[in-house]
Amino acid sequence: MGAFTGLNISSSGLSAERLRMDTISSNIANADTTRTETGEPYRRKIAVFQENLDRELNSVTGQYETKLKGVKAVQIVNDNSSLRQVYDPSNPDANAEGYVSMPNVNILNEMADLISSTRAYEANVSAINAQKSMFSSALQIGR
Amino acid sequence: MTVNNISGQQITYDLIKKSLDASSTRADVISNNIANINTAGYKRRYVTFEDTLKQSLDNITMKKDNSLHMDDGNSFGAISVKEDSSSSMKVDGNNVDIDSEMANQAQNTLMYQALTSQASSRISMRRYVITGGGN
Repeated sequence: MGAFTGLNISSSGLSAERLRMDTISSNIANADTTRTETGEPYRRKIAVFQENLDRELNSVTGQYETKLKGVKAVQIVNDNSSLRQVYDPSNPDANAEGYVSMPNVNILNEMADLISSTRAYEANVSAINAQKSMFSSALQIGR
Repeated sequence: MTVNNISGQQITYDLIKKSLDASSTRADVISNNIANINTAGYKRRYVTFEDTLKQSLDNITMKKDNSLHMDDGNSFGAISVKEDSSSSMKVDGNNVDIDSEMANQAQNTLMYQALTSQASSRISMRRYVITGGGN
């Protein structure tokens, strides 16, 4: 395990949380978007994370070991729950009955997710700071 | 100072080094837990060292009369990463508790700093003896 493994793990957490924040921002920005490239209303996007593992040969024991490498974003999926139906006959995207299909984005949920993502980001930053103070105290050995 | 004293001090010094290793691994594992706080189905990991250390100090270890001879490699307990698959706090199956991880991180950093200052004071004691009390 390299000296800066912990820092790399925490920075993978930082970029994953940033991607989650970008996804949430996109959801909030498109909360009322009734048209996309496919002609469908916007659907809520979810970032899917996966733990990042690596198998490595130990030079001492000669056995394969699982190395922790943090987190990685595997894909961004659409939330396929039902779309909101709003009665607005004057809207150009209204159907024959006068209903408009609005995105399945709930602003309150998105704000709560945004706060959780911000806190997770801060937790990763403080993990980096803890690692940094460990390195600087290791550099003081023998002084 | 007899030969026995030197090897006794060496054991303490090796123990400090091994504990530093354990502490460093623990910092990596805690970072990994924090990085995966939003990963669905992730189970938190933890490092075991101190409990195996107690067992291995009670056990009889292989005696060596030469530092180049091989030992069993685990005379101070093995540092191993284990998975805690017990409980889950959230609906997505993730069982990372951010509060306990942050507390463990703080505790681990203090432990690491205590060990580095121990190693430092041992080195400076030896330097003091080598230089005969002067600088």
